[in-house]
Amino acid sequence: MSGGWVAKELCEQGFKVAVIERGRAIEATKDYTDFIDPWDMENLNEKTDQDREEYPIQSHVYAFQSYTKQFWVKDKEHPYETAEGTDFTWFRGYHEGGKSIMWARQSYRMSEIDFEANKKDGHGVDWPVRYADIAPWYDYVEKFAGISGSTEGLDILPDGVFQPPHDLTCAEIDFRDKLETAFPGRRLIPGRVANLTEPTQEQMDLGRGKCQARNHCYQGCSFGAYFSSNSATLPAARRTGNMTLIPDTAVHKVITDPETGKAIGVEAVDVETGESRQITARVVFLNAGTIPTTMILLNSATEQAPNGLGNSSGQLGRNVMDHHSGARGSAVLPGHLDKHTFGRRPNGFYIPRYRNHTEEAEGFVRGYGYQGGATRDRWHGAMGSKGVGEDFKAANRAPGPWRINVVAFGEVLPNENNRIRLHETKTDQWGFPIPVMDVTYGDNERNMVRQANRDTRAMLEAAGGTDIWTSDDPETAEPAPPGIGIHEMGTARMGRDPETSVLNEWNQSWDVPNLFVTDGSFMTSAGCQNPSLTYMAFSARAANHAAELMKNGSL
Amino acid sequence: MSNLNMNRRSAMASLLALSATGALAACGQGGSPQTDAPAEVGSETSSGFFTASEMALIAALAQTIIPATETGGAVEAGVPDTLQEMATTWANEGVQQFWRTGLTTLDASLIEANGAPFTPMSAAEQATALGAYDAQVYDGEVDDGFYRAFKATVVRAYYMSEIGAADELAYEPVPGEWIGCVPLSEFPKTWAT
Repeated sequence: MSGGWVAKELCEQGFKVAVIERGRAIEATKDYTDFIDPWDMENLNEKTDQDREEYPIQSHVYAFQSYTKQFWVKDKEHPYETAEGTDFTWFRGYHEGGKSIMWARQSYRMSEIDFEANKKDGHGVDWPVRYADIAPWYDYVEKFAGISGSTEGLDILPDGVFQPPHDLTCAEIDFRDKLETAFPGRRLIPGRVANLTEPTQEQMDLGRGKCQARNHCYQGCSFGAYFSSNSATLPAARRTGNMTLIPDTAVHKVITDPETGKAIGVEAVDVETGESRQITARVVFLNAGTIPTTMILLNSATEQAPNGLGNSSGQLGRNVMDHHSGARGSAVLPGHLDKHTFGRRPNGFYIPRYRNHTEEAEGFVRGYGYQGGATRDRWHGAMGSKGVGEDFKAANRAPGPWRINVVAFGEVLPNENNRIRLHETKTDQWGFPIPVMDVTYGDNERNMVRQANRDTRAMLEAAGGTDIWTSDDPETAEPAPPGIGIHEMGTARMGRDPETSVLNEWNQSWDVPNLFVTDGSFMTSAGCQNPSLTYMAFSARAANHAAELMKNGSL
Repeated sequence: MSNLNMNRRSAMASLLALSATGALAACGQGGSPQTDAPAEVGSETSSGFFTASEMALIAALAQTIIPATETGGAVEAGVPDTLQEMATTWANEGVQQFWRTGLTTLDASLIEANGAPFTPMSAAEQATALGAYDAQVYDGEVDDGFYRAFKATVVRAYYMSEIGAADELAYEPVPGEWIGCVPLSEFPKTWAT
């Protein structure tokens, strides 16, 4: 996700870039499975015993299917542990493009409210940037990536450079009106998603086409219609002639010069042969994903940096955050039985955060947003309902009622006791220490999830929903285990002070000036928005800053 | 509707022009309609986990749940073969045993209720016999986890088949665009996907 941006920006600035990828190179024609019809799906798309054996963790991802498993790691080949009494679910794929192939593409800006949050309520450290610093970079990455969305004028969720939004369904419009009447502080808007609804010339020149409304995104997109490193940034980097992709090569250490303290390159292992090699560079960017990037830095300890490279603050590996997701609900919405939808929207609606903003909250700071959708029931209910014969068949042919589904995503606070560390004895098959995750949520997350569960039911009731289902009892609900949000971040945070942060305002290591980190590790706070767009904006900004420093001779 | 079709056609045409690798790969991988004859099912010989007589019972049950109407039923859609394949290559021993025992028990229950074996009955008799049993299960009078699982699999296999998805329901592999609110009269059938 973020690495492609760095490659693109540096290549376009005229620098030679080696993109070191621990997994395989991706070929769309071979790896994408987006033209499979339902009748060609193996075993009715049911998981096999072998899937559960090889992918005991990954097989639980919503995007894991019989024909998408090529994008998820075999857990046994990539072990990790959790500290006693803690839980962490680590979803990932190791291949060119990483999670940008499998992401859910929701793309939201963080706002001034988010960048000020730590300073205001005292959790974590203050962000070294404000919205005005990053806004032009949001513009920049949105224009290139292609984000579909509507202009709403909300301070909590700034507008951006959008392609036309996906329509709300008739039932969603009705739900929106009832919601906004019952709760005047809440808004429901079309989801903002990295799918091209009106491709620009720049995007078409890269071989990208309009979204075909198939909703096959998790299988890869042969039309290049959603943003992935594979469809967008890497092709842009490649066409400059300045990029070399080095696949199947796992970086495990950043090498530094003991004299100058600067990075001189990386040490990496060929994952097939086990052979070790060094790759030198003037500047090193780490974009391995939050946990692997953190592991690389911890594993790069030297005499001068005994606790890990760039870790003079002691904050490296701390402040693991994710978004806790939950407070799910569904209901049948009344009416509109003479209406239907056409196509498959790779998107839904969004209800931006309102708690501790337009509405008060008790027992927690920050807040949560909702994602959801309302479409007509299809045939799946027939798998568990009464009836046989012609009447049964005829009933299934007509669409069912409109059913709404919602899920909340909440902000997790930075807490330095939530850590990643190197296992003291256990190593992976290449001989490198495996990670130990030690992450627990506190009262703020718990109280937030309970309020979200109350809100879910209240909203469905206010809209006249029937057959209401909610995932948890608000009095006893607990946040889902860390990692489930697949937004792990925060372990090499940016800050204003080298004593308390790992990176400065340019995603640049305080300790090692030619080392930059622009994957989720840099996040100083999490917001409640899906974070990838923010990673993109900071990556582009940091890469351009590094290019400037190289050009003026200071790096 | 004609408008939409027009849009879809022009969308495809422009895609072919602009996204050469993608769109060509698309056509190579399954853009052309399948015209294979319906799979042979319930045949006398059987090579797989289920025996020929079990396959005949499965075909009779499946076709009673989803009969042929103006579109093909479960048998024409190849549902029994799908079940055979899953039982043979996907199911573990526990699942295989669950299916075999379940079929045997269900067969016996139907004989007991109707005084005759299910497979050789006429279609009308089968509809009456299985309809009564189905109602007992879903009304909670009879507890038969196998029958519920069997029916769920038949339904899933049918609506994921080409006949079930593309003939009986509506299937658009490449819709081309999303429209959030259209009159049901234009698209009256359930979307298969």
